[in-house]
Amino acid sequence: MAGVIFLVTIGLVIVRPKGLTEAMAALLGAAAMVVAGLVSAGAAVGDVAGHWNVLLFFVGLTGSAAVAERSGLFEGLAGTAARLSGGRPRRLLVAVVAVGAVVAAMLSNDAAALVLTPVVYVLVARFGLAPLPYVLACTFVADAASLALPVSNPVNVIVTDRLGVSAVSLVPVLLPAAVASVAALLCCLLIIYRRELPVRAPLVPAPGSWASWTSVPRRLVAAFGVAIAAFAVASAMDLPLGPTMTVVWLLLLGVERTGQKHGRPLEGIGWSLLVFVAAMGILVDGLSSAGVTAWLAALVLGPVRDSPEAAMIVAAAAGALGSNLFNNLPSAFVLADAVHGAGLSQASAHAAAIGTIIGSDLGPNLTPVGSVATLLWFVILRQRGLEVSTWSYIRVGLIVTPITIVAALAVALLLGVPR
Amino acid sequence: MTAPRRVLVALAGTEDPALVAQVARTLGAGDSRIEITLLHVEETGPRELAAHELPLRSGLWPAHSRNSVEQRLADADAQRATALLQAWHERFAAALPNAEIADLVAQGRPEREIVAAAERLAADVVVLSARPRTGPTEAGPRSLGHVSRFVVDHSPVPVLVARRSK
Repeated sequence: MAGVIFLVTIGLVIVRPKGLTEAMAALLGAAAMVVAGLVSAGAAVGDVAGHWNVLLFFVGLTGSAAVAERSGLFEGLAGTAARLSGGRPRRLLVAVVAVGAVVAAMLSNDAAALVLTPVVYVLVARFGLAPLPYVLACTFVADAASLALPVSNPVNVIVTDRLGVSAVSLVPVLLPAAVASVAALLCCLLIIYRRELPVRAPLVPAPGSWASWTSVPRRLVAAFGVAIAAFAVASAMDLPLGPTMTVVWLLLLGVERTGQKHGRPLEGIGWSLLVFVAAMGILVDGLSSAGVTAWLAALVLGPVRDSPEAAMIVAAAAGALGSNLFNNLPSAFVLADAVHGAGLSQASAHAAAIGTIIGSDLGPNLTPVGSVATLLWFVILRQRGLEVSTWSYIRVGLIVTPITIVAALAVALLLGVPR
Repeated sequence: MTAPRRVLVALAGTEDPALVAQVARTLGAGDSRIEITLLHVEETGPRELAAHELPLRSGLWPAHSRNSVEQRLADADAQRATALLQAWHERFAAALPNAEIADLVAQGRPEREIVAAAERLAADVVVLSARPRTGPTEAGPRSLGHVSRFVVDHSPVPVLVARRSK
């Protein structure tokens, strides 16, 4: 019963029938769990309250990303990248990947994909270049770099929070793994597009036509610097990430309001993400109390419980598979719960957390347009005579994703499991 | 065969500028009867990917004013098309001073739009580069990119595939 409610909910999340958003679908599913008596109302409230750290974290994160977007920071970064590349298409691709990696690591993968992509698109058009390689670079690097820090991907915080592992303690392993996956991604893109990137750009835009830093308020740039430093110190002291991120956001908002250009304070907060995460917590609790996640844990992690290395690899594979069958947030929730309930040794649980994060962060890259269902649809269309141009961007994910996952896993295994 | 009168030149914009001299040599420079139409096709696929698929994939995040993003991307494409055609227009005008040169921008899939434009303009010949962006342009297996292959396959009028002169 719990499994049926969960699968129907996930189905609604993926298909998104008219007018029903992901958050609404998840909320309906959570309500169904309570009505069916799988989760008591009190436990549901407890679930939501128990996620206070994660929820506060997302308020701060989405709010900060909105401040960054309004400030023109992204245009400034992209303009600097373009200037450093000298307009050489290959170097420009490297620069876009580098900027995307930094933005994703600092401000989350979705902020990088959503906000940076249009900026890069406009920039690349000024050079007269075809935008596709650069657009794809943005979307792929957003996920590839999102292993790096707790702030880089909602999945990172959800998994570590669920397991009761300090998110910061995994950084020494995940940051090098992120570097490896970004490097692997860059190599793949340069090889895939070796024939499509011309030696030089056909147009040379006037340097003044690039967006520059002059439009970004100096005070806000300084505030971002302070915010990053403050966040790093707070993380090192192992303060809870949620309140820290919220304070950082309020600081940025305060500095922004001293200037002329500012939006409404709550504009850009990802409310639907909050609702989704809260509802997902209740859904997974229902699954858990029905014994579904324990069954899953025995099935997936049972055979490898004594070897941290094997647990990491299996968790990564399961994370990648789950994020393509469903969606990476729900699958990360379920997996984290399964790992939590599997009764692994601490070393194995840490390793499984790292594996889950790698699989769930990088897995969604398999298809830039969504789940495996979309991919299969494209494969069928192609058999019926679809032009190559559509296929050309589906194909990239199929090549890039396994390679980046293997690169990240290799580094994580090499660095071992933090105690 | 009489010299072609209506010539459709399909440009991705990234072609080797030597293309102009090559076309001039083939068509006979100084022929006043030539009408050249320079066609650039804005590919809408990447724009749709950037404007639709990304928010779709990250639908949980606040919807950024999608209309303004779409407008920015469309403007960027239009500006690129204009700037590219202007640059190539000048090159062709310098090499073929007596020809009449017109610019044309289309939107969609380049391979389809090139064939459609050739039909609509009743062109005598379509000129395009084997691999406009880069790559080996000398003859050999797989020397045609997918756009030029499609046009060779489907064009109702003769096709001139330009290759980089050595």
